[in-house]
Amino acid sequence: MNTSDQVLAIARKELTDRLRNRWVWTVSALLFLCTVVIALFGAAPVGVVGNKGAGAAMASLMNLVAYLVPLIALILGCGAIIDEKQRGTLDLILVYPLSPRAYFAGTFLGFTLALAIAVVVGFALSGLLLVFWVGVPAVEYLTLTALALLLGTAFLALSFFVSLLSRERGRAIASSVFLWIFAIFVFDLILVGILVLSGGKVPASLFGALLLANPADCFRILCFQWIGSAATPLGLASVAPAGLPAPLLLVILAFWVVVPVVASYWLFQRRVDRDALV
Amino acid sequence: MIRLEAVSKRYGEQVALRAIDLEIHRGEWLGLFGHNGSGKSTLLRLLLGLTRPTTGSLLIDGKAPSPAGWRRLRERIGFMPERIAFYDHLTGREILAYFGRLRGVGGERVAAVLEQVGLEAAADRRLAGYSKGMRQRLNLGQALLGDPEIIFADEPVEGLDPQGVRAFFDLLHAGRVETVVMSSHRLAECSHRVDRICVLNQGEVRALGSVEELSRDLHPPVHVHVYPSESANGSLQTTLTNLGATDVSMHQGAWVAEVAQGSKVAFLAGLAGCQPQIRHLHIEEPSLEELYFEHE
Repeated sequence: MNTSDQVLAIARKELTDRLRNRWVWTVSALLFLCTVVIALFGAAPVGVVGNKGAGAAMASLMNLVAYLVPLIALILGCGAIIDEKQRGTLDLILVYPLSPRAYFAGTFLGFTLALAIAVVVGFALSGLLLVFWVGVPAVEYLTLTALALLLGTAFLALSFFVSLLSRERGRAIASSVFLWIFAIFVFDLILVGILVLSGGKVPASLFGALLLANPADCFRILCFQWIGSAATPLGLASVAPAGLPAPLLLVILAFWVVVPVVASYWLFQRRVDRDALV
Repeated sequence: MIRLEAVSKRYGEQVALRAIDLEIHRGEWLGLFGHNGSGKSTLLRLLLGLTRPTTGSLLIDGKAPSPAGWRRLRERIGFMPERIAFYDHLTGREILAYFGRLRGVGGERVAAVLEQVGLEAAADRRLAGYSKGMRQRLNLGQALLGDPEIIFADEPVEGLDPQGVRAFFDLLHAGRVETVVMSSHRLAECSHRVDRICVLNQGEVRALGSVEELSRDLHPPVHVHVYPSESANGSLQTTLTNLGATDVSMHQGAWVAEVAQGSKVAFLAGLAGCQPQIRHLHIEEPSLEELYFEHE
């Protein structure tokens, strides 16, 4: 039996499960709804409703992605692998002639595909409206979609690590919510606090490095650099030091996918070896 | 084929297995018996490579297994886990197709196995609608997918009625399976189906051998139920004791004499002399269940 066939079989099973239980379509619908509402009514509090221009719409969408996609990815990955262990099917699969690596790779691939389909479908539907009616540049919208996928994959990888570390679904959900709040809200507040307390004396290089320690901030800075029509970049990206080239940021965001995946696999393998997965 | 040498397994402070020496021979059917927590499932997990010994060694064909060695072994085995919740939202066919793909087995083999385990009519129904017996048959079907030489089964007859138990063993015999290692609580129903039994208690092997060997070695006492006739006088209890019974008690109108295996023939010969006092006689040989409890 070819290892790649086994990986694909597991990925297919994970994807099919999420298509069947309507997780993918529910998330797509949620993204579509939120995207359209944010783009059209995002400026309602200041009295502007409807088509308010591509820049404002893109800025609203960037913010929406930064909030919503990590949360969706973290929820998706909650219970990954440990659910199979508690169900008893993981032990059975591990007695099959396939390596833990193939199982892990197939599972992560399946979850990633489910997330990707949900994001792409949700964004594609609203994209038609935004490109043709609001006038959002198609290339920028596609860039935002691609960055949303990368950001989501990074948080999915983190959720795998959290799930394996938690050993139990309930704890994994609580830890994921904590991680989301920390990455999206608390982290930036801490950085702002440091800036204020130091009277702005934090070296730019250190500040830049600290921003890169959060994948959500990497995403924001990349959007700031690549999506020119966004008139109002939000979050700390606006005070990001110059000199952080986009390719480096992209590599670092990709790094945020690879490192948690490798760490999760290491933890999975170690716990399989020690028979201590849950 | 698989040998455990002085294997112990601890989970933290808890000792699951203590100094187990056990060899599983090619072609034999081995039954692991014991109560909950006796170490049966841990022993199976060790034999399957799902957990590692804390001390001692496990050898496959005389060698410490490498990952490749485990993989080679796993190509030849089928495993029926005890507590398994297959995917309720999938049909029986879809579940076997998934596990079949992991083994490189196609739809034809899946269909053949569904027929073999008698689930062809229910193959396209969701698992949520399956009875416990049907789920066990699906579990067996999953284990048979790769046409294995060796089956490891953890409590495979749990929840099955006697007919289901017989059907389970018939299915095992019908395939290419040569070697079976199974655990069960149901000693009485399963012991005569296996070549050797291994009785575990508190993580230790208390007995290992064929049913005949264990019966012979343990010399369990027989119970002779003596129903007194109307002409019997009060001396029958004393007579039974004098004939060699180690214990005599009255139970449901009969004197129940416990007699050592070695004294059984002499005891019965002695009873012949008391025939007028005896209306009916019933000899209760110890069941394997009793042998099993002897080891607790």
